[in-house]
Amino acid sequence: MNFIDANLLTVIIMLPLAGALALLLVPKGKTALIKNMAFGLSAAVFIISLRLYFGFDETNAAMQFTVDKPWLPDWGINYRLGVDGISLLMLMLTTFLTPLAILASFDYIQEHQKAFYAGLLALQTGMLGVFAALDVFLFYVFWEAMLIPMYFLIGVWGGPKRIYAALKFFIYTMLGSVLMLAAIIFICLAHKEQFGTYSFSLFDFYRTAFDLKTQLWLFAAFALAFAIKVPLVPFHTWLPDAHVEAPTAGSVLLAGVLLKMGVYGYLRFAVPMFPAAAQSFAPWLAGLGVIGVIYGSLVAWSQPDMKKMVAYSSVAHMGVIVLGISAFEPAAVSGAVLQMVNHGLSTGALFLLVGVLYERRHTRMIEDYGGLAKAMPGFSAIFMIVMLSSVGLPGLNGFVGEFLILFGSFRTYPWLAAAAVLGVILSAVYMLGMYQRVVFGPVRHEENRHLPDLSVREWGYLLPLLAFIIFIGVYPAPFLRKTDAAVKAYVSAAARQQDSAAEGQGSAADSSLTNKNVNPPHSYKAGRRAAKERR
Amino acid sequence: MNPEMAIYAGQSLAIPLTLVLAGLTALFIPIITRRDDSTPGLVILTSSLILLTFFPSSGTAFISMFSGALTLSPFTNYLWPFFLAALAFTALISLHARDGKPGSGEYYFLLSMAALGLIFMVSAGELLTIFIAVELLSVCLYALAAINRSPTGAEAGYKYFLLGSFGTGMLVMGFALVYGTTGTLNLDAIKLALAPGLPFHPLTSAGFIFLIAGFSFKVALVPFHMWVPDVYEGSPTPVSAFMGAAVKAGGIVVLYRLFAITAGAPQFREIFWALAVITMVLGNLMALPQHNLKRLLAYSSVSHAGYIVTGFFGGSEGLKAALFYLVVYAAATIGAFAVVAALEKDERGVMVKDLAGLSGRHPYLAAAMTLFILSLAGIPPLAGFFGKFYVFTAALRGGCTWLVVIALLMSAVSAYYYLRVLVAMYMEHEPAALEAAPSRAMGLALSLLALIVTALGIFSGPLLRLAQSAAIF
Repeated sequence: MNFIDANLLTVIIMLPLAGALALLLVPKGKTALIKNMAFGLSAAVFIISLRLYFGFDETNAAMQFTVDKPWLPDWGINYRLGVDGISLLMLMLTTFLTPLAILASFDYIQEHQKAFYAGLLALQTGMLGVFAALDVFLFYVFWEAMLIPMYFLIGVWGGPKRIYAALKFFIYTMLGSVLMLAAIIFICLAHKEQFGTYSFSLFDFYRTAFDLKTQLWLFAAFALAFAIKVPLVPFHTWLPDAHVEAPTAGSVLLAGVLLKMGVYGYLRFAVPMFPAAAQSFAPWLAGLGVIGVIYGSLVAWSQPDMKKMVAYSSVAHMGVIVLGISAFEPAAVSGAVLQMVNHGLSTGALFLLVGVLYERRHTRMIEDYGGLAKAMPGFSAIFMIVMLSSVGLPGLNGFVGEFLILFGSFRTYPWLAAAAVLGVILSAVYMLGMYQRVVFGPVRHEENRHLPDLSVREWGYLLPLLAFIIFIGVYPAPFLRKTDAAVKAYVSAAARQQDSAAEGQGSAADSSLTNKNVNPPHSYKAGRRAAKERR
Repeated sequence: MNPEMAIYAGQSLAIPLTLVLAGLTALFIPIITRRDDSTPGLVILTSSLILLTFFPSSGTAFISMFSGALTLSPFTNYLWPFFLAALAFTALISLHARDGKPGSGEYYFLLSMAALGLIFMVSAGELLTIFIAVELLSVCLYALAAINRSPTGAEAGYKYFLLGSFGTGMLVMGFALVYGTTGTLNLDAIKLALAPGLPFHPLTSAGFIFLIAGFSFKVALVPFHMWVPDVYEGSPTPVSAFMGAAVKAGGIVVLYRLFAITAGAPQFREIFWALAVITMVLGNLMALPQHNLKRLLAYSSVSHAGYIVTGFFGGSEGLKAALFYLVVYAAATIGAFAVVAALEKDERGVMVKDLAGLSGRHPYLAAAMTLFILSLAGIPPLAGFFGKFYVFTAALRGGCTWLVVIALLMSAVSAYYYLRVLVAMYMEHEPAALEAAPSRAMGLALSLLALIVTALGIFSGPLLRLAQSAAIF
């Protein structure tokens, strides 16, 4: 691997943070410079990350672009990074959405602009780090550190109830993740017990064996943290508050990227680490997902506030995705990964569109609009495509993902899949209803008659989203191909049964997950022997 | 003792002696010059910095002096510089906070004597030395708490004195019982006398319970914490910082030695377990409704003592983690109190809501406070997170899964009151009452502490290795 590729991930992750620090040095008054710098930096990160996308070898299931440098050697904590197909798509989604979110904030944010853009860039570093970390400790550090910029984004630049929403977001996430930290430490100590060395490497965690009861506890600790992030239904109450109060850019990244971290957590950590426990929890996860689909859709239906409606529709969409990953069928999991990207694109676009309206009228109530089609034809056209993509119309991206998920999970959970279809139908009901009341019909409020249509800048950040919404809808194959190997590895890792979990996993199915460059695999028995000798 | 060791012992003894001299100089300067300015503070600051610069290090040597009354060890090698640094930072903050207040001579004299008490306390080889050191420390602190001669100061001093004397009484009782049943005052000899496996003499047990209670007073473990909020609130803010950071550290260290001596007996493990749990739970819960920033920090310091005690259960790994924790916790605590000192104008103190809009008027002050608060809350990548991580890992290794789960949940609870400070500074925009004019000394102290809190997070390795070499007992 050449020098550029060896440091590519580090550059992509750290460049936004460096940019954030550089932004803080710019004098306060130069807002134009601040905006351009923030946008330029994030655009540069996206361009650099293209190298990651096109340099990625999709035939190889192992981690690529790996970095492995000691950080806290006493504890076996390394700066380990790498991508497989799943994290690749998530990274690309993040680098793609961030410049658009920045572009969308140019007019919306008028106060403390420097801090706002610095916060967004710092948030980007946190998000990218979560998706690329192959060291569980490093992952946790990014996972928690990311809370701080998001907390400030909601709390400082948010709506009227922003303080409540920000606190709720922070405390909810932290409560979930401290238990995960306890589980992480526990696994590290168990690894030391079994293999004789401290390590926080993800692959060493995969190898560490537990009996079923311990697995269930540990899985529960991880699953709770991720369930809050997704959010699965009883843990979702922070989401509507956070979404409604957050500024547009915050909502876009929250829905587009942060929610994906929960699902990503299941895919990368909770399930492959504790396959036996995951098998016993999976029906519950799928069930909660489907409850989320139906509940989220019903609540969204009754919302008078567009942003809240989109927020609840996120709950529903994420529910479908969780159903997909708990089916352990390649088609469903592929669909779920693709749907994560789709949801990021279409919900991100929906929040941006609501933001466009809010900037003009300073209200998000459906009641306050109506008949926008005449005044804002461009807006209405884009809104329609995005809305239809969110609904899952064939030919647009949402359909591909949802179809794959439902198709794949039907074999494992026929009833749940059938119920999820109901949710998908419901989403058409409320989305179309909302669209109709906002865009068509008579002009109910005089102010709406002469609203300006989309500006060049607004076209600028909506068109790229639109392009991908249509492209994935028509031709999803390249994206599905990228994730194929990783999805297969996930499914086979999840299929490792209880006995293999109890007796040793070193030589089992995770050979495909293990990166041989990073961690020379040694069999479980050898490790056990070594541990015995040390005693 | 070979000549090298003798030289080293002499150099080490020069430290407390220099401190005494510096303290006396600080005391007499205002009397001689008849001017009450910041000269005594500068004397203490410079001398502690000089001592830090020329600190003699002996590597791994153990030296017992004065027939075992005082011991020099890698342990003291780690803690003495820590106390000196805490003294230096307190003096630096005091230069700002005590500008123009009378009695600076006594103030800095008492401060350096308190540091001296701490230095003796952690290097004590005998119960008697511990007692003398505790008294030296406590008497200085009683006076320091009341030195502002204000009603709240007087209340603080009086309360601290009464409850502190109660604690000291318990200590004396404990010393007497332990001495009476084991026949020795030397800590190592006591440990030998309490042969592992054999049940303790009931009076020995009683003695240790008194000792643990007495030191729990000094460290402010719940239920011996009642004095903390009032005393921290009424004392001059730099003194509160010194109490929260350094005095607590000294007490924790002695508690650890008691824990190590009694480690064979399960009933004492249970006592420490219970103390840790109720301290973490109640300390955090009581911090939730606080409006006064100093009281909030006081309760936060109570709960942090609970986290550190959690580390006791991790053996030498736990001691190493606790020693690391003490430093990062001290840096954040001194920093947070320093921000209070930079803001406070009168006896009323600083309320959390007074911080409203601070980010707009004093962005650097607010940014520094943010770092301290987030470090105390244990958010990565700041030092506080790594402190918690090491301590909890050690405790988990010692088999205390539930203790760690409780500790982690309580640190999530603590996020709520810590975040309230950030909410006030960044998210509330009402015009606030407080205007700060941080002096250069304050600015220097804050930036150094902010640097420590950040750097020890991302690069915690070096300090951790220092703590490791010190954690030999």
